Amino acid sequence: MENMPAFRLHRPETAAEAVRLKTSDARSRYLAGGTDMIVNVRRGIEAPETMIDLTAIAAITEISEISGGDGGLRIGAGVKLSDLAAHADLRRDYPAITQAAASVAGPTHRRYGTIGGNLCLDTRCLFYNQSQWWRESNNFCLKHKGDVCHVAPGGKRCFAAFSGDVAPAMLVYGAEVDLKGPNGARTIPLVDLYRDDGMDHLALEADELLVSIRLPKPVAGTVSGYEKSRIRGSIDFPLAGCAVRVTMDDGKVADIAIALTAVNPSPHIVTGLDDFVGRPLDDDALDKIREMVRSQAKPMLTTTVRPWYRRRVVGALARRLTAKLAGA
Amino acid sequence: MDGNGLPPAPIKSIGVPMPMVDGPEKISGRALYTADFYDHAALTGCIKRADVAHAHILSVDISAAEALPGVHAVITGSETDEGHGVLPVSRTELPIAFDRVRYKGEPVAAVAADSIEIAKAACDLIKVEYEELPAYFTAADSIAEGSVDLHDHRPGNIERHVDYEIGDVDAGFGQAELVHETEYHCAEVCQVQTEPHAAFAEWDGERDELTVRASTQVPYYVHLMLSKILKMPKSKIRVIKPFLGGGFGARTEALNVELITAMLARRVRGTVRTVISREETFITHRGRPEQTVKIRMGMTKDGKVTAIDCQTIQRGGGHSGYGIVTILYSGSMLFAIYDLQNVRYDGKRVLTNTPPCGAFRGHGTVNVRHAFENAMDEMAIKLGLDPFAVRRANLIAEMGHVANDLWVNSYGLPECLDVVEKASGWKDRKGNLAPGKGLGLACSHYVSGASKPVNWTGEPHATINLKLDFDGTIVILTGASEIGQGSSTILVQCVAEVLGIDPTRVKIIAADSRVTPKDNGSYSSRVTYMVGNAAIEAATNLRGVLVAAAAKKFDVNPEDVECLGETYRAGSQDEGMTFDEVAMAALEGTGTITVKGNFDTHPDSWGGKKYRGAAIGGSMAFAYAAQVVEVTVDPDTAEIKVDQVWVAHDCGKALNPLTVEGQIQGSVWMGMGQAMTEETRYHKGLLISGNMLDYRVPTFVESPPIEAHIVESIDPHGPFGAKEAGEASLAGFLPALTSAVADAMGVRAHELPVTPDRLLRILEDKEREMRSSATAAE
Repeated sequence: MENMPAFRLHRPETAAEAVRLKTSDARSRYLAGGTDMIVNVRRGIEAPETMIDLTAIAAITEISEISGGDGGLRIGAGVKLSDLAAHADLRRDYPAITQAAASVAGPTHRRYGTIGGNLCLDTRCLFYNQSQWWRESNNFCLKHKGDVCHVAPGGKRCFAAFSGDVAPAMLVYGAEVDLKGPNGARTIPLVDLYRDDGMDHLALEADELLVSIRLPKPVAGTVSGYEKSRIRGSIDFPLAGCAVRVTMDDGKVADIAIALTAVNPSPHIVTGLDDFVGRPLDDDALDKIREMVRSQAKPMLTTTVRPWYRRRVVGALARRLTAKLAGA
Repeated sequence: MDGNGLPPAPIKSIGVPMPMVDGPEKISGRALYTADFYDHAALTGCIKRADVAHAHILSVDISAAEALPGVHAVITGSETDEGHGVLPVSRTELPIAFDRVRYKGEPVAAVAADSIEIAKAACDLIKVEYEELPAYFTAADSIAEGSVDLHDHRPGNIERHVDYEIGDVDAGFGQAELVHETEYHCAEVCQVQTEPHAAFAEWDGERDELTVRASTQVPYYVHLMLSKILKMPKSKIRVIKPFLGGGFGARTEALNVELITAMLARRVRGTVRTVISREETFITHRGRPEQTVKIRMGMTKDGKVTAIDCQTIQRGGGHSGYGIVTILYSGSMLFAIYDLQNVRYDGKRVLTNTPPCGAFRGHGTVNVRHAFENAMDEMAIKLGLDPFAVRRANLIAEMGHVANDLWVNSYGLPECLDVVEKASGWKDRKGNLAPGKGLGLACSHYVSGASKPVNWTGEPHATINLKLDFDGTIVILTGASEIGQGSSTILVQCVAEVLGIDPTRVKIIAADSRVTPKDNGSYSSRVTYMVGNAAIEAATNLRGVLVAAAAKKFDVNPEDVECLGETYRAGSQDEGMTFDEVAMAALEGTGTITVKGNFDTHPDSWGGKKYRGAAIGGSMAFAYAAQVVEVTVDPDTAEIKVDQVWVAHDCGKALNPLTVEGQIQGSVWMGMGQAMTEETRYHKGLLISGNMLDYRVPTFVESPPIEAHIVESIDPHGPFGAKEAGEASLAGFLPALTSAVADAMGVRAHELPVTPDRLLRILEDKEREMRSSATAAE
């Protein structure tokens, strides 16, 4: 991979200027840490003529308390994953988020990669994350330039897996995202940023930029955590990842949320957990949670590790993490 | 007396944990690797690769590529009709495929252009018309009835079928109290050396001469193949091996990269630089083949092995490579580790439509050793024996020729076993660990250089030249390729030790065919043993010259001269002469001194003639290792954590304990990759794991504490008693790991690598089996 295609680079200092530059050039891309996207550029998956480097926009690199309203925390999309992982308030109040951030790829990736980039990470598949020569030799694929899905031939759906670590950890907290686009600014729930479509998994409007993430004020007594399965303890994307947030009241569940990553084209919030509210998290409940997670995870053959295992393990991780957090 | 008031004495270099002599350049970034050579006029080379696995090439249209501005040359398979390869009988691989493609990614054309972008664009413009043939991605498919032959001279796609019996196997099984059959499957693995392949070729248009720098372990073989492919006299070619970022067998033969780059340079009559990508480096391959090993073992109730029947099949890839050698090693290296008298071996090396395999560290021995040691462990469990007791019941009792004529003269395996048994606390801990934890043991061994070279020329195995001039510097001139294993450091130490001098006085120039004596290359762990011995002989000769010169100055007989390294004297009260004074005395009348040292193998080490190919495995010495692996298995995820490894390696004599320890740890760690995470995967013949995310080399996070113990058996023929140190510790990790997992969980993985998905499947199968037998019992 010696070659690096030529491109024009802008380095705006405000989000508004970034959006303006983006709008003015149809073949442009936003660039934050670039740890994932530059690999795709070198593989010919992306061929932007213009890159809009976001690292000079000071306003999106801060973590601050939200004044007014219900309070909470605002995290700039440009915050580096290593800074996010090390942030003392976040470690105390939102441990799933810092654990997830600390588990992304390897140390050098986290020093460059941003939370915005991690939330907007492209979906991944064995048949997609390959060199130009490779994909061409394999007649490309549904997600890029081709008309066949090699994971599920015959289908017209792309199953490339969303593999960001931090999204599920933020989803269990009901995070919202601030977006800025040519038509103005808007704030939407993080869950609405995603679509269950490996080809088009982000519900961003044209040229829209993720500016910041809002986390609601922590609820007293809430605990959370994140665990991922991978072959190696560093570098690897998750084969399956799981974030759990739970609030216990007098030995019974007051509130519980579980979100998964890497087992669907978008991060997935596990549904049906309301049934456990008011109940203790005994072995029976934990087994049920494990099976619910397994049934809602839909991994496909998008990595070298068998989908069968990824489904088994995501349930096992969810059960173990929930038990640990609930002190069971 | 020196400055410390101590009498002068020879300086010790051997046995001293000395940092590598080329360390400063590597650590500081000053070292120049092949890809670091630039020339403002150099063109960029790029290879067009086949997107079919098996096909006739009907036509190659290069007209559009040639017409692209910035393109200087486009070559195809018609550039040469000479093949390359390892054994003289199988040099049939063309650097660029001509009429037949045999694996996806095989070169079908190459371009030299002003930039990589133009070169890639030109490759895209080359149109190749194929007539596709049935393609075989498994050994079984390839040898099935009615399959198309990949090579006309290899009917049935069998590269080599090795079949022999030594002793009386049926009688041996008759003596056994337990006969057990077991089968293991090892995935194909790649070396993934740090540096992707590169070549820098300069054509001298005035003289029609060629200089090639290449990332190779074998510059001499590259030289030979360049001469053959280009049909040029060897005297018109110069091959230089710059700094190298690892080899591990991936570069033990001339690769198409350097051959193609040289052909392009000749075409443009200029300089071409080719640096291939990580993916292309994976495709160039030469890794360890996918291999199935079936072992039938007979054992007495005391653990003595009475007979072995071993059947194995290797998926070799589209060309011969080292194939014949690999399948022979798999058989011959069943021997020389334990006392085996009755062995039947049936090995098939199969040609398939996958990238060609090669001589990966532990060449040919690793997968068979994996099956063998596992079989021993399985039988130990069945017989209620301790795994150490089983190994000890099979130790070689007498030095000399073993049943297949391999020559064993030093044997530190018993001590290796003692060391790791004690270090790991085996006696107290085995069977008493917490749930999910287990211990496993295995042994392994390897040759110290192949005693018969592939190219039999009648030359010595190794030659060293030493140069001493007015400045008092001793320069070692050697063809031996420093590939990161530390060969240059070892040669400096050998020379410094013999002369007793400060090792910083000794400098080394290696692997430049115009300057240094020829050397076969860095493979089969031959350099320390063979070139080390040559260095000792050369240094001894130089010492003779210096002593003679000193004797003349002292006016005494040479035998009365005391050589104390930096001081020479005659009579202990004499102040004597400094090394520099002696050197100047030696130069009088003769000028610059050059001396030579050679090494040749003893015919007793040539491996006998009991079957065709019995020379493979022949070596002057064998190194041994034993290791204990401790694991913890996560019952929920089936993830295996290696808690610790205790390994003892008999390297004869640790010439440099620091680098020996590094080699042992590296071997264990590489074995860990093969055992636990690494495997190549193909999708319809297309390498799907050709990157460092999907081909999972372990990271530092997985690296366990590796306690390396050095055992010194002092080989009678090795340099200062040394044997190989860089390979024997690899193979043992694999079976020690699976045995440790079996100890922890009661299930044994028969398929490598033992990834969590494979292990969870086995654990769940066992659970299901137990449930159904419990139900049946009710």
